[in-house]
Amino acid sequence: MSELERRALLKGAGLGALAFSVGGTELLLTPRAARAQNVPFKTLTPAQAEALDALGETLLPGARAAGISHYIDQQISIPADEALLEARILNIRPPYANFYRAALGAIDKASRAHNGDRGVAQLSESERHAFVDQMRQNKVEGWQGPPGPFVYLILRSDAVDVVYGTMDGYSGLGIPYMAHIEPTKRW
Amino acid sequence: MATHEKVDVVIVGAGASGSLYAAELTKAGKKVVLLETGPDWQLTDLISSDIWGRRIKPAGIPFLLEGKNPYGFAYQAGWGVGGAALHYFANFPRYLPNDFKVKSEHGKGLDWPISYADLAPFYDKVAQEVGVSGDAKAEEVWRPKGQPYPMPPMKTFRNGDVWLKGLESVGIRMVPAAVGMNSTDFKGRPACLYDGWCHVGCPIGALANPLVTYLATARKGGAEVRAHSTVTRVLTNAAGDKVTGVEYYDANKEKQVQEASVVVMSAWAAQNPRLLLNSATDKHPKGLANSSGLLGHYMMAHYAAGTWAIFDEDVESHMGTVGAQYMSYDRYDKLSKKDKGAFGSTYIVAGTALKTTDLAGFANARMDLFGPQLADFMKSAKRGITRLTAFGEELPNIENRIEIADGKDEFGMPLARIVHSFGPEAVALWNANFEEGLAAAKAAGAKEFWSARGNMPTIHLFGGTIMGTDAGTSIADSYGQTHEIANLWIAGPGLFPTEGASNPTYTIFAVSQRGVEQLVAKWGSVAG
Repeated sequence: MSELERRALLKGAGLGALAFSVGGTELLLTPRAARAQNVPFKTLTPAQAEALDALGETLLPGARAAGISHYIDQQISIPADEALLEARILNIRPPYANFYRAALGAIDKASRAHNGDRGVAQLSESERHAFVDQMRQNKVEGWQGPPGPFVYLILRSDAVDVVYGTMDGYSGLGIPYMAHIEPTKRW
Repeated sequence: MATHEKVDVVIVGAGASGSLYAAELTKAGKKVVLLETGPDWQLTDLISSDIWGRRIKPAGIPFLLEGKNPYGFAYQAGWGVGGAALHYFANFPRYLPNDFKVKSEHGKGLDWPISYADLAPFYDKVAQEVGVSGDAKAEEVWRPKGQPYPMPPMKTFRNGDVWLKGLESVGIRMVPAAVGMNSTDFKGRPACLYDGWCHVGCPIGALANPLVTYLATARKGGAEVRAHSTVTRVLTNAAGDKVTGVEYYDANKEKQVQEASVVVMSAWAAQNPRLLLNSATDKHPKGLANSSGLLGHYMMAHYAAGTWAIFDEDVESHMGTVGAQYMSYDRYDKLSKKDKGAFGSTYIVAGTALKTTDLAGFANARMDLFGPQLADFMKSAKRGITRLTAFGEELPNIENRIEIADGKDEFGMPLARIVHSFGPEAVALWNANFEEGLAAAKAAGAKEFWSARGNMPTIHLFGGTIMGTDAGTSIADSYGQTHEIANLWIAGPGLFPTEGASNPTYTIFAVSQRGVEQLVAKWGSVAG
């Protein structure tokens, strides 16, 4: 699909869902639906996606099912100009994939160093909660990568986006969404 | 490289000030081209979503952000037609008389070369043009009389009303906020629906963003808007005494030249100095209009001391406008918190629609919470949470600056560095404003309340091309005409020598209106 066609597809869709590649065809899906359909990752490795799912769920229950890893994978696989990530407004230099790789690399290294060579996805929920709490406060010893509190801010924001930033999220909280122009598919 | 037919005026940047210049110049019969680095947004692009709303801000910026308080660029900036005014909150407080003579009155900072009285007629004119709702009479406890606003105040909600008692008890009077929004239908644009999506762009035209005000007028008048057109240099003649146009790269990244009799720089306070520094020639070795060496200096930002509070009632947090419902200048005296070691004005607002996510969403009201605790907080706070905000002023500091840096952008233009640190008096004012916010929340009867403390935020952007009386101490005169090159003009908040504490866009419009009227009046001598 050409750049022009892809932009037209996005525009025609009312810019609600995201364009995921499934079997060579681009489909407009919410990240939740992309996860449910096991859409293959374009940029994230399986281990990175697993770590993101685990961290997302620790940061905010429901983030895993809401498709946090598919959301981030899709967003770091498209041109930066089209990206919707909070990273965009926090001055992270594109390509955004570089930031996520660096952040996940730092998390993995620190987790393994402090937890018997176990990655963050292999930790128990309470261990992961403690790890995130240390990262939030910049207290992880030997941390190497983007500052821990900043990584916390970005990943927490991504989790909040997929859980509470959508029309479904507002509905779940019981807050009227009141769109002037609705994102389609309640995304 | 293509060279386009010469036009009367080329305007660099289609945001607040550029759009106003284009509207007025087309009314005067001038042939105008606006060059804008981002897309040509339409109202139908303005999806009501914090997530989708990020598209109208830049992705990747050509600035390195340094200093003790690095500037929060992308959240504040615009990308595409309308600029930052496509997602602004449309708070329209004026600057007050004490903002214009800070150095004369206090022996610090800088003076504007004009006074409030010089600008007042242009505030009134802008209000009638774009539509302002508010109660001008009520503001007269703090400022000289002016014309009434064309619309009555906006509707208020409990998320604003609940603060009034507490603020009054600490000696802060609130009046209806002046906002660039429609409380009634205005000039064919509908009244606001109070759905609280102002900050991601108002697609119904109730909020006075440039797409429905100045840019619409400019297009009707024949102005040509070229989106995805990134200016890299302002061009000069061999003698160096005239600008001849600009060099830019189009959507296909091909170099173009647009020749013009006059160049107006309205690419915001950061990009204007970067471009002028990058336009150096043998006649202007330090950059255009920079014999003083002050180009890029005196960068300033506002900061906010926010107070979160949860009330034991439904305050309809999600309702209203993102701009304020109530405002106060009761702490606008530069010395109002002198006893705390502070200097500068404070502008206070109450009442705002809160959404869930993004930087200003209430999920960030407790950044320390995550996991089930965050989920519990969201459920418990949604009904009664609201925020009070006190904006503060910093003094101009020559060390806060923009300068060319190593590295280049995708067009081969050098990156720039923004170095920014708040001074001790600003930090003291920020801290003092937190204390007062907590006192107001307590007096208002809030069930829970706390300060929105984190890194000291940087809000709005000023300076870098300051106005003044001469080329030795400033870049441009009070109209925006550069001291050194008669047909090179600057517009926008970069001209401000001090920043006050009020939201700046109304003043940007007023200064621009005054400037463009001067440009039209002097056209023969400027463009000849």
